[in-house]
Formats: sequence, C-alpha cells, structure tokens
Amino acid sequence: MVDNAAIRALRTMDLIPYILENPGVSISSLATKFSVTQKQIENDLQLIFMCGLPGYTPYELIDIVFEDGIVSVIDPQVLDKPRRFNKSELIVIALGLQILIEINKSNPVQLEKLQSLSRKISKLGSSNSITFNPVETKSVFLGQITKAISERKHLNIEYNSLIKDKKTNRVVDPQRIYFLNGNLYLSAFDLEVRSDRVFKVDLIEDCKIVDFKDHVNISEPAKSFEVVLDVRKSHRSFIERNSSIISASKELGDRFEVHIQISNLEWLKRSILSNAPGISITSPSLLANELLESANTVLALYQA
Amino acid sequence: MSSQKTERLINLTLALLATKRYLTKSEIFKSVTGYSGTPETMERMFERDKDELRNMGVEIEVKGLDPLFEDDQGYLIRSETFQLSGNEFASDELLYLTMAANLWHDSALSNDSKAALLKIQSLSGPIEFNAFNSPVVRDNENSQMLATAFEAIEKCKKLSFKYNGNHRIVEPLGMFMRSGFWYLVAKDDKIVKSFKLVRIESRIAMDAGSFQKLEGFDLSSYLKRYSEEEIIQAEILVRKEQAYSLRSKYLVKEFDSEWDLMSIPYSYEPEMIEILLWHGQNIIVKNPQSLRNSIVSRLGEFING
Repeated sequence: MVDNAAIRALRTMDLIPYILENPGVSISSLATKFSVTQKQIENDLQLIFMCGLPGYTPYELIDIVFEDGIVSVIDPQVLDKPRRFNKSELIVIALGLQILIEINKSNPVQLEKLQSLSRKISKLGSSNSITFNPVETKSVFLGQITKAISERKHLNIEYNSLIKDKKTNRVVDPQRIYFLNGNLYLSAFDLEVRSDRVFKVDLIEDCKIVDFKDHVNISEPAKSFEVVLDVRKSHRSFIERNSSIISASKELGDRFEVHIQISNLEWLKRSILSNAPGISITSPSLLANELLESANTVLALYQA
Repeated sequence: MSSQKTERLINLTLALLATKRYLTKSEIFKSVTGYSGTPETMERMFERDKDELRNMGVEIEVKGLDPLFEDDQGYLIRSETFQLSGNEFASDELLYLTMAANLWHDSALSNDSKAALLKIQSLSGPIEFNAFNSPVVRDNENSQMLATAFEAIEKCKKLSFKYNGNHRIVEPLGMFMRSGFWYLVAKDDKIVKSFKLVRIESRIAMDAGSFQKLEGFDLSSYLKRYSEEEIIQAEILVRKEQAYSLRSKYLVKEFDSEWDLMSIPYSYEPEMIEILLWHGQNIIVKNPQSLRNSIVSRLGEFING
C-alpha cells in the first residue's frame, strides 16, 4: 500500500489510544489489526516517540515503551481517545445494529438497548441514504445456538429439511452463524452423517443444548460431479446466488452456459423445477430426462 | 522526507488539539516543530498540511482574530470533533457496537468494519467477545464498487457504469440491501431507479462530474412505495405428510384423504411460483386461476424446450 504522509500520520496517531487501552499488545498483533507490516508499525512507533506538544520537553512528548515486541503507552498526551467514527464506519455500525435489532425481536431487554444505541448512532450522523431492508427471520433459537458455539457444546435440533421435505432430528456440532442472501444460516457438523451441513435458522423447529464434551471434527468431503446448465438471462439471479458452486460460465446470446460442481442432486432438481423454464440441464442427459419426467408428473396434476 | 512531513503533521494536529485558544500562523511556526525556511516556504507548507488533514476528515477551525487584519487568523481542532469521548458509550453498548461492526467482517464492507472495530477497541480495551459465535454477513459484492458508490452518494458525484448492456451516467441518491444484495438508487435520465450492484457489468467510476442533490428525496419513502404491492391469497392443496417447510408457516385444513388445504399470501407471482414448484408433485394450486395458468404454461415450456 502506498502511504501518503497524512494517511500515515493519522494511523500513527490511532495507534496510541489503541495501545493505551490494550497495554502490552505485541507488534505483530498491531500489524494485523492495522493491516500493515510489523516493520511499518515499528517505524510508526519510532516516529511518534519524537512527537508531542509545543515545548517538546520530555514532559510534553508522547511516551511509549517497547521491548521484545511488546508495547505500552506511558503518556499519550492528548491522544487518549480514538478518533471519531467516519461516515462509512458509521454506516457499517448502523447497518449492523439494524440486523441485530431484527434478530433480537424476541428479546425485549436487548431490543430496547439496541434501539436506543441505534438512535444514538444515527445522531452521530450515519447517512440516511443507506439502509438495510430487514430480513424476515424467525430466530427464537439464536441465543441458544450462539451459546452452544461459544461453550463448544452440541445441539440437538429438529429441522424441517427443505430438500428432503421431512422433519429430521439431528445432533450437530455448531460452527458458525451467517447471513447469506437475506437468510440466516447455521453451519454445523452433523454427527450422524459425519459431514458438514448448512441449516436455515428459520427452519429449525426445536433446539436443545446437549452436553457432549468430545469434539468430532472430521469432515468427509462429499462426492461432487459436474452438471452443465442452460440459464436464461432472465434467471441470472440463480447464478448470482450460487456463485460458490459455479466452476465456469459463458455468455451465449440471451443465455448462459453454466458449469457447476454439485454433490446434492435433490437440491439441484428442486431448484431447476422451481425456476422452470428459465434453467435446464444440458448434461448429463440422464438427469435432464429425470427432470422432464418430474415436470410431466406435476403438469398431469393440473390436467386431471 | 516523508517521515519528516508525517512528524510535522502529527505535531501540528497535537498542537491544534491541545490548545484552548486559536493559534495564529506565526505562533504555529514558532512553536510547532518541523516548520522552517523563509516565511513564504513555511506559509506554503502550512497551507498544504492543513488541506491534507482536512481531506482526511480532520476539522480544523479558522477564526479571524482581528477584524482589521484579514491575515491574522487563528486555528484550532476541537477535541469533540476529533475524538470520541470516554463516556460516550456504556460498556454493554460497546459490546453491541463490536457485534454490529463484526457482522460485516466477511463482507464487502470488511475494511470499514475493521476500522470501526479498531476504534471501538481503543475505547473498550479487549472486550469479552468471541467473534466466532456472533453472526456475520456474507454478500456477493466487491468492496471497491460499494466504496465508490458510498462515496459518490456522500459527495454528490455522478457515477458511470454499464448495466443491461447500456452505458449509464446516473446521479446516485442512496443504497439499500435487500435479500442479501446491494441496490443503488439513482436518477437515470430524470427517473429514479434501482440498480442491483452485482448486475453492473463494468467498473463503476466517479468520472462524470457532480450534481445537485435532489430536493426532498427520501430513501425510506422511496422504498416504501417500491415495496407496496397488492397481496393476493392463493389456495393451495398440499399432499398429506409433505411440504413441511410450508406447514410450519401456514395453517392447513383437511381437504380429503390425500390432500390438505392451505392459504398462502403473496405479492410477486414469480417468487410464489418458485416456492410452489420447489415442492413438485406435492402441491396443486386451486386458486387464483391466473397462478394456475402461469404454472401450467411454465411447465409446458420447460417440457417442450
């Protein structure tokens, strides 16, 4: 990264309140936090060591000690507090708070605190031209799930599998929670099938923490194979949503030829049928025929 | 060279931050280390330093000290515009701020998220917080595009990019995130439209000049109009012991020995069809007729290629 003097000056000043609140922090950890090299952090610290208030006697200089890769601040002068959040940092915080409010709707105490914090942040001047459209997420079990993750415990969940269209009961080792395309997901290791699985949080019907201490962590890579799809331009949201499984894609006039690597055929068949006629299978032909047959079966229900 | 200048910028900031009264240029040149040379040289150095700090968002206040002498101006930086204060946030609020910023840690906003987290940790110290058990957002956008769009909105700069095969120059007004995707709201040839960021086919550039902010534009009321659609109730037959994900959301009534009856509200037909066809032969639409027709024609087209 090319550093100009002003960028470097502000970063160097940002180091002081950070070290003040986190005394004994290592140079390597500062380098990671501030996204620069260790050498750069050392140079910045050498530099700020020479700075201070007019007069520049030892009492007016910023005083830090660094030894054996560990830093502490003795006198920060006026730099005892971090700089104010800038516009884009406020946006990130304000959007994050909107999500936290959304997923804590069932917890009135937290909800109230979050809402008052959110008002405080918007008064600080977070832009009102950027908003997050809340997701409809039922997440009564979110608290339990995060608790299980942090305490490294297993969860017994009753899950409405969209793909199998069945209620299933599983014991999983929860790993992390994330939002993707507006939905909240739990990624976990399923102890029964001994493989990583992803669960939509709003399809979890019941959830209990089970007290298993031992941690299983062997993931067995599921077998995947290539399927070639023909996707109409009107259905390109399918490509946007599933970019992680796409290995190649080519634009051919008003459609795309998309190669995907897939292990879950049931999911693929349901996705294609639900997008009919926007997506079809080019190869393998066996799979293509199987889908045509399912489409005929559904159509027959309407013609009966 | 560059180290000297950095040092001077730091010393200037500290001096302006520490002073209780406005400092004149001559006081600055006398007392702040790093200013040397002829008066003209120092003058030029100071003007440049001041501009550079201002460009980085540092608010330097100016005040005329003597109405008769325009030259005699004083400068200072107010602590409250530069720094957060120690009692601005309670400790549980700092934890929520950490969680809120951390949500974007895996996303296109990760740079701003990281910078915000640094500041929060400079207030709170190491917080009792396990980043792995709090949710994160994963999105599909690239951060450069988002950052450019944010900046253009704040600074009222026009944006140019290619969308749906056409080159556009638009006046950006706002952004919103829906279903995990970012949208840019912008005036394109007198009409306010939404552009899905992942569909932008080119680099997005701020190279077409500035514009006057649209008077009276309000993003939340725009979005409200955008999403006010008519709600239709669909009557659906659901095969017994099937379609559990729908059964958990909507009530069913017994229809006959093979089927149950369910009513599902919807506003956007393509989305509804997607949900229904996901369940294949376990669902039949009874009403409205238009939804039935659309499903039949879609399947027909799928089968006949």
